[in-house]
Amino acid sequence: MKLKYFLSGALLAIVLFLAACSGNGEEEVEAESQGEEESGEVEKDDKNLVIAQASDLVTMDPQDSLSTTGDRFFRNLNNRLFKRNPDMEIVPDLVESSENIDEETWRFKLIEGVKFHNGEDLTAEDVKFSLERVMTDDSLKEYPYFTQLKEVNVIDDYELEVVTDGPMPTIQHVLAKSGSGILPKDYVEEVGMEGFMEQPIGSGPYKFVEWKIDDKVVMERNEDYFGDEPTWDTVTIRAINEGSTRVGELLTGGVDLITDVAPNEWDRVENNEGTSLVSGESTRVMLLMNRMTEGTITADPKVREAIDLAIDQQAIVDSVLQGSGVPVRSRVPEGVHGSDPDLYDAYVHDPERAKELLEEAGYGDGFELTLTSPKGRYPMDGQVAELIAVMLGEVGIDVNLELLESGTFIEKYSNKDNEELIMIGLADGLLDASYSLVHYSIDRAAGQTDYNNEEIDQLFKEASRNLDKEERVEQFKQIQQTVAEERPHTFLYQSKVNYGVSDAIDFQPRLDENIIFDDVSVK
Amino acid sequence: MKKYITKRLLEIIPVLFIITFVVFVLMYHAGDPVAMMLPDEASQEDRENMREALGLNDPFIVQYGNFLKDISTGNFGESIRYNTQALPLVIERLPASFELAGVAMLVAILISIPLGIWSANKRNTVTDLFITGGSVLGKAMPNFWLGIMLILILAVNVQIFPVSGRGTLVHLVLPAITLGTSIAAEMTRLVRSSMLDTLGQDYIRTASSKGVPYFKVVVSHAFRNTLIPVITITTLQLSIVVSGSIITESVFQWPGLGLLLVQAVNARDMAVVQAAVFIIAILVIVVNLITDLIYVLIDPRIKYS
Repeated sequence: MKLKYFLSGALLAIVLFLAACSGNGEEEVEAESQGEEESGEVEKDDKNLVIAQASDLVTMDPQDSLSTTGDRFFRNLNNRLFKRNPDMEIVPDLVESSENIDEETWRFKLIEGVKFHNGEDLTAEDVKFSLERVMTDDSLKEYPYFTQLKEVNVIDDYELEVVTDGPMPTIQHVLAKSGSGILPKDYVEEVGMEGFMEQPIGSGPYKFVEWKIDDKVVMERNEDYFGDEPTWDTVTIRAINEGSTRVGELLTGGVDLITDVAPNEWDRVENNEGTSLVSGESTRVMLLMNRMTEGTITADPKVREAIDLAIDQQAIVDSVLQGSGVPVRSRVPEGVHGSDPDLYDAYVHDPERAKELLEEAGYGDGFELTLTSPKGRYPMDGQVAELIAVMLGEVGIDVNLELLESGTFIEKYSNKDNEELIMIGLADGLLDASYSLVHYSIDRAAGQTDYNNEEIDQLFKEASRNLDKEERVEQFKQIQQTVAEERPHTFLYQSKVNYGVSDAIDFQPRLDENIIFDDVSVK
Repeated sequence: MKKYITKRLLEIIPVLFIITFVVFVLMYHAGDPVAMMLPDEASQEDRENMREALGLNDPFIVQYGNFLKDISTGNFGESIRYNTQALPLVIERLPASFELAGVAMLVAILISIPLGIWSANKRNTVTDLFITGGSVLGKAMPNFWLGIMLILILAVNVQIFPVSGRGTLVHLVLPAITLGTSIAAEMTRLVRSSMLDTLGQDYIRTASSKGVPYFKVVVSHAFRNTLIPVITITTLQLSIVVSGSIITESVFQWPGLGLLLVQAVNARDMAVVQAAVFIIAILVIVVNLITDLIYVLIDPRIKYS
């Protein structure tokens, strides 16, 4: 008997549950269709921005984060001495004026009246505390960028001096990075870094509300922000790893802006009424690293030239990437300080000449080499590698294609186990050519490409300490020209990044892939 | 009885020991977490510093020894991804996973038991064919595919349910159906065959011939005796719940243990993987123990000594 009651009770429960769910649904659908009839297009009727990105933050410590996903949060929570405007120019953020006293000393005057979210004033002491933390604690991920800073001296409440170890042309670049996010000294000393991570405080336009790991970070407007009034009441950064789910949320209006839309989802986003695909440039350049170690087949400059001539970069971009890339002949794309416009949106392709070169090099009958590529690390990476293998095959190079899972791949790369060719995408976290071109210095290339050019090495060292902006750019250009000729790397293309955006908002992608909430507006 | 339970509880220790060893060896050989933590552009020196700081340069036996010493005090080490203790990270995720697994299991039971009984009673009819055929289909649909399809149909095309995330009861529906379907498919077949066994027994025929109504025969005589195998089956499904929740949670961005585990594996975050596997192992063992104890309550013939 008891069982019968149980069964009928359960049945009733299901019926009620389903009824409740479908009831809800009908209302929603109705509301949706009504909205469309009236306006004909989507509109945003609240001031709550929801962004979904492909992975969650892993820390609330701005100085221990090197990821773009993290910086999208930190940039809106914290202020730094400098920031980048949408054109990637470095402009003052907390700094009122700056002065270069001598080659190694910089004096900064801070804006007065900036307050942290707990109401305390942001002073030179906080700046000193924050910079010294990242300069000295080598367990922090941002630490490697700050090793050239020597000391920070407070002059008065709103004035301080930063001393570098030798001339540092990239000081402003570094002071605009997330490692330079200014932390509230008193608060951190009071609650400790652990306490800070639970309730992070900055001075930026948005305040921290809550973080549910692998779900979302919620922020709300800072009414007392010293700059322009913040645009949004709340901003939610959701983490949605699965690409099709992210697109699903955009299509249903659950989120306003999604990052990293894969090529197979472009049509869904583009064809849907009320959403569009927005494509932006990134600093990431896909390239083949050529091993130039003696005894390797790719040590022969003619072979490397032949490889470059055999590959049709434009065809890769047009076919596999459906236009989501720009062919390049340098690792420093346009927009990054020190780039060479002659090597941007440029490529060389001449399979006949490639065959001749191989003939001259004594490989007329063809030869075999290994190309290692990740699969699933960058958009369409496996397909690009397959296409390259075919292109090389056409000039008589028999490619042994090795496609690896992302983790295995990066291990092979970082252990310098790369064989003749390895395909990788390298970004530039500093937006300065020095960041990319260090790869061609002898120390850095050792074991990986084994590129060894004393002249380039010397030139790079000079440029790294050169405070003369124009001369420095010329030095960088010269390095890039030589590299394009000597080919320790065979450049493929600059990757574009694709966002799915609700038509109700206005969003312009940035080269650094950051999202400044107040640069996003309601249409 | 007390002795039996104590014995079973003590058995957990060697099992856990073996599990920690297997997991440690697998993760040790799975690769270098440092490569994942730093961007592609990082230099060899940066990597080396980080490896040293994390104690990854110690020999295998030292690392394993340190690991055992630590976990005996409940310290699974720090997650290299989150820089916090691994065990609390895992435990924080349990409510979300329990919620999903519980509702999915409920969905599975509510679908499979009536269908299993029904198809056993209609053996070799069209209804039976549909139900068994349907369960094959349910089993054959991969979890991630079903999840994506449900999102597409019931969340995007017809906007009834939210696409992803956790919050209200409505958020639970699609993930629970996704996870529940494959369990229900398997259970339906097992309930059916177990029911068929019971229906062939003498006492069922006796009951029928005595003139007891058929519905009553099935529900109160046959079904009660089918319960033991059904409970066994239900617990056996636990492994499907665990593996299924990893996929389901990823598709629906359900912030549970499965999602944490899959991300930890991808990032080679050993401490979190170990803590998660450890907790899952304990859960499976405990549920099995509870099942054995439930037998006693249902079937007075079973006694442990």
